[in-house]
Amino acid sequence: MTEVQTKSAAAAPAAAGPAPAPANKRRHWREAATGWLFVLPFAVLLVAFLLLPMGYALKLSLYRSTLVEGEVFAFLDNYQQAFDDPLVREGVVRVLLFGLVQTPLMIGIALVAALLIDGATSRFSRVFRLAAFVPYAVPVVIGTLMWGFLYSKETGPLSFDFLSSGVVLGSLGNIVTWQWAGYNMIVLYAALQGLPKEVYESARIDGAGAVQIALRIKTPMIASALILATLFTIMGTLQFFTEPLILQPLNPGAITQHYTPNLYAFHQAFSFQQYNYSAAISFLLGAVVFVGSYIFLFATRKRSALR
Amino acid sequence: MNVRNSSLGRKLRRSAVTVVATLTAVTLAACGGGADEATKADGPVTIKVWAWYPSFQGVVDLFNKTHTDIKIEWTNAGAGQDQYTKLQTALKAGKGAPDVAMLELQEIPTFQLTKHLVDLGKYGANDVKSNYVDWAWKQVSTGDSVYAIPVDAGPMALLYREDIFQKYGLTVPATWDEYKAQAEKLKSASGGKSFITDFGASDGGFLTGLQWQAGAKPYTYDIADPGTISVAVNNAETKKVLTYWEGMVNAGLADTTAYGTTDFYNGLASGKYATYIAAGWGPGYLQSVAKTTSGKWRAAPLPQWTAGADAQGDWGGSSFAVTDQTKHPEQAATVAKEIFGATNTDAWKIGIDEAYLFPTATPILESDAFMKKEYEFFGGQKVNEVFVPAYNAIGEFAWSPFNSYNFNQLTTGLGQAIEKKTSWTAAIDTAQANIAQYATQQGFKVQ
Amino acid sequence: MKASRGSVAAHVVMGLMALYFLLPFWWLLVAATKDNDGLFGSAPLWFADFHLIDNLKLVFTQENGIYLTWLRNSAMYAVLSGIGATIVSALAGYAFAKLRFPGRGALFALLLGLIMVPATALVLPTYLLMAQLDLVDTIWAVILPSLLNPFGVYLLRVYTHDSIPDEMLEAARIDGAGEFRVFRSVALPAMRPALVTVLLFTMVASWNNFFLPLVMLSDNQLYPLTVGLRTWYMSATIGNGGAALFNVIVAGSLVAIVPLIAAFLLLQRHWRGGLTVGAVK
Repeated sequence: MTEVQTKSAAAAPAAAGPAPAPANKRRHWREAATGWLFVLPFAVLLVAFLLLPMGYALKLSLYRSTLVEGEVFAFLDNYQQAFDDPLVREGVVRVLLFGLVQTPLMIGIALVAALLIDGATSRFSRVFRLAAFVPYAVPVVIGTLMWGFLYSKETGPLSFDFLSSGVVLGSLGNIVTWQWAGYNMIVLYAALQGLPKEVYESARIDGAGAVQIALRIKTPMIASALILATLFTIMGTLQFFTEPLILQPLNPGAITQHYTPNLYAFHQAFSFQQYNYSAAISFLLGAVVFVGSYIFLFATRKRSALR
Repeated sequence: MNVRNSSLGRKLRRSAVTVVATLTAVTLAACGGGADEATKADGPVTIKVWAWYPSFQGVVDLFNKTHTDIKIEWTNAGAGQDQYTKLQTALKAGKGAPDVAMLELQEIPTFQLTKHLVDLGKYGANDVKSNYVDWAWKQVSTGDSVYAIPVDAGPMALLYREDIFQKYGLTVPATWDEYKAQAEKLKSASGGKSFITDFGASDGGFLTGLQWQAGAKPYTYDIADPGTISVAVNNAETKKVLTYWEGMVNAGLADTTAYGTTDFYNGLASGKYATYIAAGWGPGYLQSVAKTTSGKWRAAPLPQWTAGADAQGDWGGSSFAVTDQTKHPEQAATVAKEIFGATNTDAWKIGIDEAYLFPTATPILESDAFMKKEYEFFGGQKVNEVFVPAYNAIGEFAWSPFNSYNFNQLTTGLGQAIEKKTSWTAAIDTAQANIAQYATQQGFKVQ
Repeated sequence: MKASRGSVAAHVVMGLMALYFLLPFWWLLVAATKDNDGLFGSAPLWFADFHLIDNLKLVFTQENGIYLTWLRNSAMYAVLSGIGATIVSALAGYAFAKLRFPGRGALFALLLGLIMVPATALVLPTYLLMAQLDLVDTIWAVILPSLLNPFGVYLLRVYTHDSIPDEMLEAARIDGAGEFRVFRSVALPAMRPALVTVLLFTMVASWNNFFLPLVMLSDNQLYPLTVGLRTWYMSATIGNGGAALFNVIVAGSLVAIVPLIAAFLLLQRHWRGGLTVGAVK
């Protein structure tokens, strides 16, 4: 990483160099055309699969359709209904709670693991690194199926009903942790590897212990990676969907169809044909995630990686 | 949904078309996809069928072998709700639906409401009417309009473990009161290790079957008058059934593990459950999931609410309907009528022995191959001698035209009541209020 | 490194965590050798009657061997989406980093904003749009949306900006190379480590994709493994006379993750290499 940074420092002045000579006017036109040509496929995809669906969702959400009468313009009725819907509220509260507990827990585990493998150089730490990362390679559907079997009271190893309503959120959280902690660990570990070694060598000479170095020096220095990992985790938890969908048949009384806002929107659309209401919920959810992550990024902008 | 007809919708669609078309035109052209295959004047007509019966390939092959003019192309588009979801969206989108789709009986009004089912009465469906008992035919038709051809049904009965009954000195109950007495006896004799049964609150069909037996009429709805419905899901009979089972569950007599889970199968195999309240497809199904208990099970009629009565209910069952997207309604109707037809004994051999279906067609039901079939799993008992009379005694029953919502309200309400140990009757009152509100929102005149 | 008390403690913690991460894999390996009776009735973490071969046979013969079709589909979606998304991202990332064109700043700001749009919220409207274009239930419905990878563009833009000096490109231009040739023969080779990372990540994301194909596809001949296995799981848990294929599902899950784990072990160094680009700034 140090190498890359040096290069970047060298490149920066070149980019901000003196204004180009007029003789190069044609070249600039050519460059602009090439630039647009190069981003064109991406721009088209962006419009087709992000902006258009967003606009369409917004439009759908302003209409209302009924089984008997068909479609009528409803303006904000669907949003009003969503705000008044206790099932939406229940789901939103649940994912917020989930995000609040899950995010620090998982990032914490990932950080501890990353600091451990960064500190240790034994062969075992390499094996451990792989073991922690491998769950990321497993499709969420399959990971959830496996845990579903392990959670079974009669046929699982722990003879405990992990899916009863009191503990099911924690059980779902465990699947997420299992699946993503290793991935976040690698992200943080990669950041740690990029740190200049001299900084903590000198701290060590000053008599700082390994734990102190890890917490006081290394952790603050990878703040931007931590912020990014946290952001993606928050976004993921707010959109919580696949795990509860897969485990639903195992205890539908605890994992209801309105368990998370996303699940609720899915069932509104695909089980009950309430496309308009579903679009309103999706749009609200999208707006909340979008605004939330923007605020988070703005608040941490000095340290965040996105620029 | 009429988004497509609004002007904004048209504009949006047009811009979407332009953008995505640019992107895909090249790739599509390169792969030679997207072009409609011209319908050939000669050769067999291809009929697309969606169904999720086990071992269905054999039945399809059989049909294709015996029909030179029609070729079935079968797709398993998912079981139950998965398929309905896809079918609804395809029907709504105006394309992508099959010619013929498997529909469970409770779903027919739902699909009929949006006018996406072809009236098979115009294609000779009434000719086969005499093969089906009255209640079953009424599930798929109104007057001379026929919206599906029945395939299988799920008359209910009590499957019990004879060895456990003997061990604890239990007797086969004739009424639900006796059933509860046996449950109490079993609980104390086994030290609380065995339950009389597992109550699957997650299964809307099972819950409805029990209500059906008790004579409940949650909905009054006639396909011929689609704008009006009366909702009474918290009727007295339903409440009687729920209060009974709430008592069973709260007293620790019945377990509440969701059906279809590994815990449930484990309970059936390990003797945790002494009985299994089953439908007509249950014997074959049980045999496939609890092989190790072969020979220990027996079948008896479903316990009654009134001693000496013969009230029955149905749990599950399916039919074949033809969708309005078919270009060949005539041939599609032939598929619906004949694939599991009343005289198609070869198809039914697969249906009965491999797919565990309980046929609705009387000629098949009353054939020796079915009625006299001895089940080794049931110690050689001819279990269909229990199920067939039950089937014939089932009364009429009306479903709502929004069954997904109905089932969801039932199962979510009860599931949560069980999880949170709150009142079941309060849960069904809430379901009533929700469903009535939903129906009103959907534009029904709710009575 | 000396075996201090701290180091021992660190290894104990790592050992316990490794056990946690590997436990489900051990379970899967054991469970794949059992038939349904074994699954429902034997100790979950140890072997019972050995039926692995029978189970594998069932996996590959169920519904006329449709599992193999799903496996092929998953691989096809992963490869096409992966390569396609990488090409699109490479072009855009390079242009954002190295080419001056009007609207660049605005478009890039838009991109940064859109990284945060939750993908799942868009699946439903995308479905409805696709339905009007007749693309639902085709492989394009799965592949085309997967080609859009704003984070990949961002990553490649950062990497290109930082690791390819402008002088290098300038030198090629002076030699008379056209813009596309500069990109292809100078920039592209230098971007390789980051390209491999983007490729691997989009391929894994596509291999693991579930929601999009779940919604878009109804023809089971087009399903990827994730959607296919869930179909079996649903008919097993529907408890409604559906076939209880638990042993097939378990063995099928094992077969599905083996190629991925193998790929991970073989391509280890690319993961770390590329992740650094996005993480450290």
